[in-house]
Amino acid sequence: MTAGPRLFSILRQGPYLIASIHTALDDSQLVRFQEDLIDQIGRYRARGVVIDVAALDVLDSFASRMLRDIGEMARLRGAATVVVGIQPDVAFTMVRLGMDTGSVATALDLEEGLSSLERLMNASPGRRT
Amino acid sequence: MPAAEPAGGTQQGSGSPDVAALIPLVRRIVTARVPDQATADDLVQETLARVLAASGRLESGTLEPYAIVTARNVVTSLWRDQDRQRRHQHRVVDLRPPEAPDEDVLVQEDRAAIAQALSRLSDREREILLAHEVAGRDTRSLAAELGSTAGAVAAQLNRSRARLRVEYLLAAERIEPPTEQCRPVLLAISGGDRRRQRDVDAARHLLECEACGRLSEPLMGRGRTRDDEVRVPVRKDADVVAARHVARELATRLDFSPTDLTLIATAVSELARNIVRFADVGEIVVELLEAPRRGIKVVARDAGPGIDDLDRALLDGYSTYRGLGLGLPGARRLMDEFGIASESGRGTTVTMIKWRDEP
Amino acid sequence: MTERASAGFPAQISDEEELLPQLVAHLREHRTRLRQEWATRIQGAHLLQAMTPQEMAAETTSVYDNYVEVLETGSVEALQRYARNLSERIIPRGVETQEVVGIVLLLRDVLARSLFEKYQRDFPLLNRVLDAYEPAANRIANTVAVSFVDERERVIRQQQDSIRELSTPVLPVRERLLILPIIGVLDAERARQLTEQLLSGIRTHRAKVVVVDITGVPDVDEAVANHLVQTVDASRLMGASVIITGLSPEIAQTLVTIGVDLSKMDTIGDLQGGLEEAERHLGYAVTRTEGPGGP
Ligand SMILES: [Zn+2]
Repeated sequence: MTAGPRLFSILRQGPYLIASIHTALDDSQLVRFQEDLIDQIGRYRARGVVIDVAALDVLDSFASRMLRDIGEMARLRGAATVVVGIQPDVAFTMVRLGMDTGSVATALDLEEGLSSLERLMNASPGRRT
Repeated sequence: MPAAEPAGGTQQGSGSPDVAALIPLVRRIVTARVPDQATADDLVQETLARVLAASGRLESGTLEPYAIVTARNVVTSLWRDQDRQRRHQHRVVDLRPPEAPDEDVLVQEDRAAIAQALSRLSDREREILLAHEVAGRDTRSLAAELGSTAGAVAAQLNRSRARLRVEYLLAAERIEPPTEQCRPVLLAISGGDRRRQRDVDAARHLLECEACGRLSEPLMGRGRTRDDEVRVPVRKDADVVAARHVARELATRLDFSPTDLTLIATAVSELARNIVRFADVGEIVVELLEAPRRGIKVVARDAGPGIDDLDRALLDGYSTYRGLGLGLPGARRLMDEFGIASESGRGTTVTMIKWRDEP
Repeated sequence: MTERASAGFPAQISDEEELLPQLVAHLREHRTRLRQEWATRIQGAHLLQAMTPQEMAAETTSVYDNYVEVLETGSVEALQRYARNLSERIIPRGVETQEVVGIVLLLRDVLARSLFEKYQRDFPLLNRVLDAYEPAANRIANTVAVSFVDERERVIRQQQDSIRELSTPVLPVRERLLILPIIGVLDAERARQLTEQLLSGIRTHRAKVVVVDITGVPDVDEAVANHLVQTVDASRLMGASVIITGLSPEIAQTLVTIGVDLSKMDTIGDLQGGLEEAERHLGYAVTRTEGPGGP
C-alpha cells in the first residue's frame, strides 16, 4: 500500500535539511509532511530548512498555513526556514487569496534558499558560538 | 486477498455467507464485459470485496443478486473512468467485447429488464411507444388516430422514453427505489427537464440518495453528451486534489492564462475542502460556458449542516477549522462571480464563475 | 502510349486555345447578369456578412473581372495581387478563410452553370468547354485561397509581434536586477499582463531585485492600486524584493486609501535613486554570500 512514488523527501545537507515536495499533496499528506519535517528538525538539530515547493501548482489556504506553521515550529526548535520555488502564478494567487505572507522567508530556488540561510546564520549569532 | 473467507458456511445458514461460491458467477459477468484478463481479475476482486463488506446487512438469498448488481456497477464505473480518459480507452477495455461466451446471458438479462420496464408503463403509453419505435408509425399518423396533434404525441413519446429509461435501469440494476422521491427525481433527470429537476430538488436528492446518485449518471449521459461539464464527488481529502485538477484541465480548454488557471484551481480547492470539513459529502460541478460569454462555472454543493451566518462566513478569519478562515472569502476574491445559498440543516451551494472574455 | 499522348496533348492545347477565348467572350458579354447572380448566391450562403452591399458590389465586380482576366491571359499574377490586397482589407474585419474560398467556389459554379446552359445542346462541345474551364477555374480558386491564407498569417504574425513589443517592458539591467518602467494608463487588463510579465521575468532572469518605475503613470484606480500591491507581495514570495520609484502624490494617496502601509513598501523618489538602492541590495547580498560561502 505504501509503495508507489514518494510524495516528498527530506535530505540532510550539513546543518540544514532540504525538504522537497514532489507532487500535489492532499491535506492529510501535507500534515504528514509537516510532522515528518518537524520530527527530523528536532532529531538532527537542524539549523535551517529549505522547503522546495516548485512542484506544487496550487498553494491554497491550508497549504500556505501549513508552511507558515512549519516556519513557526522550526523557529521554536532553533531552525530558520526558507520556502523556495513558488511558481509565479502560485505566488500571485496566494496574495490574491489574502494570505498573510509576511512571516515566511522565501527565495527563488534551492541554491538561493541555501545561500540565504547562510546569510541568516552569519547575521544572527549562532547558538553554538 | 479479499476473496478469501471460504468458511464452511452453509448456503442457508445464518453464519458467514459463502462469498467464494460467487466467484464463478462474478467472473462470468465481468469477463463478458471486460476482455482484458488482468483488469477483469481486479474487477472480480473488487466486486467480491464489496459484497463481503455488505454481506452483514444483506438478507440471505439476496447475496447473489447483490453480487450481480455490484459486478455490473464495478464494470460500469470502470467504463466511466475509461470514458474520462478516452485516449487510453482502447488499450484497456473494449466496450463491445467481440464474441464473449456469455453474450447470451447478457442479452437475456437485458431482455428481461426491458420487458419489466415496459410493464411499468401505462397501456396507452406502451402502445404509442411501441407503435412508434417498433412498428415505425410516424407521429402525424399516430396523432390522427388518437385525435391529438403531432407535437403532443411527440412530447408524450419523449416522456414515455424518459420513463422507460428509468424503469429499465431500475430493473437492470435490480434496485427498488428507497424513497418516494426517487422516481420523480430520476424521471426529471431522464427527461432532461431542468425546471422539473429544480421543482423536485433533484440535485439535493442525488447527494442524499446513493441509489439515485448512481443511476443518474447513465441517465445524464443520455441525450446530450456533455464533455464540457464534469462532476466530482467530494468526500475525502484526495477528492479536493481531484476536483481542482479537473477544474484546471477543463479551464485549459478555454485558453485561460496560467495565472487564471491557478486562481480557478485554488478557488475550487478551497470550496472542496469546505465540503470535506463541514459537510462530509458533496460534489463539485465544473462547467464550461460558451455563450454569450465564455467562462468557467464552478458549483460546489453539499448536504451538510448549512451556514447560519453567511455574512460572517464571508469575513476573513472566520473559521471553525484549522485553516486561515480564508476558504469562502478567499475563493470569492479569486473568481469574478460568486454566489452562495445556504439553508440551516439542508446544505450549502456555492456558485462561482471566472470569465474568459471581457464583457 | 507515346502515340496516345502525342495525339491527346496537342488536342487539349488547341482546345484551351480555341475554347477559352470563346468562354471569355461569353463571360464578358453576360458580366452584369452573372455577377449579380453570384452576389445573390453569396448572400444566400451568408458569406461575407461583414461587408456592406456597396462594398460587396465593388469587390464582386473586381473579383469577377480578375477572374475572367486569368481565364483570358492564363497569368495569375494580377489576381494574386488583388487577392492579397483584398485579404489585407477584409482580414481585420474577421473574414474567415472558408468564406473567401466559398465565394470563389460559388463563382466557379455560377460560371460553370452558365456555360452548361449555353452549350447544353451540344454535349461533346460542352464536355470540351468544361474540360478547358475547370482546370483554370481550380487554379484560380487555389490562388485566391493561398493568397488569403498567406496574408492572414502575415497579419497574425504582425499582430503578435506588436503585442509582444508592447508587453515586454521587463528590462534586465544587470545580473539579478530587473527594471519595469510602466508608462501610460494602467487599466485592469494591462495591470494583469504586467504582473504576469514581471513574475515570470523574475524567474527567467533569476532576479533578486526589481525596480518598478511608475513615473509615467498618471493615476490609478483602487483596483489597479490593489493589483500593484499584490504584485509586490507576489514578487517577494518568489524571493525578489521590489523597489517602487516615481510614486506620484496622487497614487500614494490612493494606496493609503486602500489601506496600504506605505512604510512597509520600499519606495524611492526617482529611478536613479531606486537603481542605487537596488545595487546596495545586491552588493550587500554578494559580499555577504561570497565570504563564508566557500568550503
Ligand atoms: Zn433516490
